[in-house]
Amino acid sequence: MATTAKKLESLSNRYYNEGLEKAGVRDMTGAVESLRQSIKLNKNNIDARNLLGLVYYEIGDVVPALSEWVISKNLRPEDNIADTYMDMVRNNPTAFETAGSIIKKFNIALNYCHQDSLDLAVIQLKKVLSMKPGFIKAHLLLALIYLNNGNYDRAKVEAQKALKLDTGSVLAKRYLKEADSMLLPGESGKLVSDVAASESEDVIRYKSGNETIIQPVKKSAIARSNSIWGILLGIVLGVAVASFLILPQRIQSVNTSNQEKIAKISEESDSKSAQIVIYEQQIQNLQEEVDKLGAQVTDYEGVDSTSAAMNSLMSAVNIYMEEPSNVEGIAQALEKLDLDAISADVSPEFTSLYDFLMTKVGSQLAASYYKTGYDAYKTEDYETAISNLSKAYQYDNTDVNILYNLGNAYYGNGDTDKAKETYDAVINNFPDTKSAQAAETKLAEINNSND
Amino acid sequence: MLNFEEELKKFRPSLEIEDAEEIIYNQDIDDMSDVLVKLLKEAKKESDSGSSRL
Repeated sequence: MATTAKKLESLSNRYYNEGLEKAGVRDMTGAVESLRQSIKLNKNNIDARNLLGLVYYEIGDVVPALSEWVISKNLRPEDNIADTYMDMVRNNPTAFETAGSIIKKFNIALNYCHQDSLDLAVIQLKKVLSMKPGFIKAHLLLALIYLNNGNYDRAKVEAQKALKLDTGSVLAKRYLKEADSMLLPGESGKLVSDVAASESEDVIRYKSGNETIIQPVKKSAIARSNSIWGILLGIVLGVAVASFLILPQRIQSVNTSNQEKIAKISEESDSKSAQIVIYEQQIQNLQEEVDKLGAQVTDYEGVDSTSAAMNSLMSAVNIYMEEPSNVEGIAQALEKLDLDAISADVSPEFTSLYDFLMTKVGSQLAASYYKTGYDAYKTEDYETAISNLSKAYQYDNTDVNILYNLGNAYYGNGDTDKAKETYDAVINNFPDTKSAQAAETKLAEINNSND
Repeated sequence: MLNFEEELKKFRPSLEIEDAEEIIYNQDIDDMSDVLVKLLKEAKKESDSGSSRL
């Protein structure tokens, strides 16, 4: 029996050593198993029991820890380190109460999970972990909730924390594997969980409340220059993309827009051209109408001049009938009568009446105009002389003196062409007269002066 | 894919401080030696009762 007891004691010590080694590398799950084996083999293995209590306390199980220490104390009342552990708890009632509060909150969170109130459970668990960051069960439960909610990156972070606290935690390993399998490489999960878990010097981590703040470390000038090169490369790539992808489309859209505008303007231009053709046609029609109306107006004016001539003739005839000697009045009445203008329009009756009046008073009228014209010629008033002598010749074309003096008046006025024409008329109409000889002389004189 | 309900069953409520006394009293602290002693006692009792019958 003694040998068996020795063997059991030896076996217990072996498990204790194993537990101690596992606890040394924070394999808490393995340590608990080994130490429990140890005290099952030898309940008096005080070291194993005290270490088991310490491991329980470390992972957040305060009550089992106290239980092991109390039993240990009972088994060995003297020289027991369990006293120290219990005194540590006893002398710090606040920490003891806090531990009780943490346990209560964890149980409430677990209860929320069973009631499917996962948001409330997460809040409770975050409170628990803010009070005791080493509470492994809280990390694991939080990781499980995150996995269930699809927050794989957060689940990974919590699983990694749990694994860091207890390297032998099978649950933590499973949850981490699950989270990793759900996160695609390069997704945000890597950014949050890997950065949080890594010991990289690129980040500064600190706690604010129950949140872990991760911020990048200020980089050196070289690192910054790399960033600047990165930015420049980004700008170049951006410009290239704009040039090769965006700009051609933009140009094409602008061209399309311009072509549409040109087509629209062309249509408007065609429409206006058509309108211009219509307006030109209207102008032409209106011009033709104006010409037609102008012709009608001319006709009416001819009628008016004919009418005025008739009135003049009637007035002259009337004066003659009332007072045949009133040559001056008759001349005044016939003043406005222009035979050249009305010659084509007058009726035979008008011509007959005019000829009749001329036979009666023509010579008297001619004599009156001749006298006035000749007097003007003498005083070198050639304009008046030409006017009156022309009238005189109109009323009496048989008097060579009238025509010759008219030629002289033209000559005196400097109108040599008219003078030559008149002198030719004298020579042709009245040959063998002194006036014709004189006219020839005058013509020779004019011709000589021209040479 | 994890089954949340199944996984949740693996989490047991932590023992609260108020329950500590009861837990300590009810804890079975027998070790292998105690078990062996009980076995020997039972074996002896059985052998004693067998010899008395004879």
